[in-house]
Amino acid sequence: MRLIRDGYHPAGYNMALDEALLILNKEPVLRTYSWDPSAVSIGYFQSIEQEVDLDAAKSMGVDVVRRITGGGAVFHDREGEVTYSIVLPSNHWAVKGRALQSYRVLCGGIVEALRILGIDAEFAGVNDVLVNGKKISGSAQTRKKWGVLQHGTLLYDLKPDLMFSLLRVPNEKIRDKMIKNIHERVTSLKHLGVEAGRKYVESALIEGFSRVLREKMEPSTPTEEEKDLAERLMREKYGSDSWNFRR
Amino acid sequence: MAQIAGISEGRSDYKVRGGKMIRVHVWHRDGKIEKVIFAGDFFMHPEESIEDLENVLVGAELEESEEIINEFFRAVELIGAGPEDFYRALRIAVLGKKS
Repeated sequence: MRLIRDGYHPAGYNMALDEALLILNKEPVLRTYSWDPSAVSIGYFQSIEQEVDLDAAKSMGVDVVRRITGGGAVFHDREGEVTYSIVLPSNHWAVKGRALQSYRVLCGGIVEALRILGIDAEFAGVNDVLVNGKKISGSAQTRKKWGVLQHGTLLYDLKPDLMFSLLRVPNEKIRDKMIKNIHERVTSLKHLGVEAGRKYVESALIEGFSRVLREKMEPSTPTEEEKDLAERLMREKYGSDSWNFRR
Repeated sequence: MAQIAGISEGRSDYKVRGGKMIRVHVWHRDGKIEKVIFAGDFFMHPEESIEDLENVLVGAELEESEEIINEFFRAVELIGAGPEDFYRALRIAVLGKKS
């Protein structure tokens, strides 16, 4: 399985390269990356204005981008998470059948990564990984005829103040309460007492997926074709209002 | 609900059991849907088909929309919500209340 340890990139490029990898690959690929600057990604079906305080994002220099996958709005803190994307051909055993089942299989890689880091975690709901009932990882998937893309995050730190100044809350009165209560619903490696740096978390994630998918990882970089397509998608799609504001 | 030239506009934020959200924005006239937009944090495969659902509901009465929605989701995989949640969210947006 190709492994692309991709480092830090702007939101538009991150989403564009994930899509380019899905479009151009018939072989399995795992990519790990982070976001620079920090960013908010919203789900395919969400309304950007309903979910994100765009003025706050602008003033904080935070990117905002729509994903090709469903699910909710996510704050991608530059210093707080590792993101992964996995591309698998449709006939790969891990994604055969319906989406719901393959979430469980692929999120198993995150559960395994956390085990490597000494943490007992479990898959829950549709697309989450929990530790002691608190969310530490969320994932989202899109399916094409030829292949499946799943991407998601693993939190190693959490900044609720920053998060809730960017994401819209149902009403302003409960913002403080949500910030206060978030530690009851969401956790991170740091909050679990694991002071693992990004590189270490990334390595655990790679090993976790390698074990669960029973794939040997072969270090790689994006090809020229993948980079060209990503650049084009970034320009024409993820950098455009017609995409980001379509709902 | 706002009313302009006979067109009523309604919205709903419908929380599905399990936590996902369906947000509906609907315009209707004389009991028929003129336009509807579904937003939220659910999953649907293929994603693009959301627009087919929005299109196929144009011209439908609320009572007909339940069967249209159910029929639509026989061919489209919906995760994190059920067809009945889409109908309920639409119903609340049109009628302006929970019922």
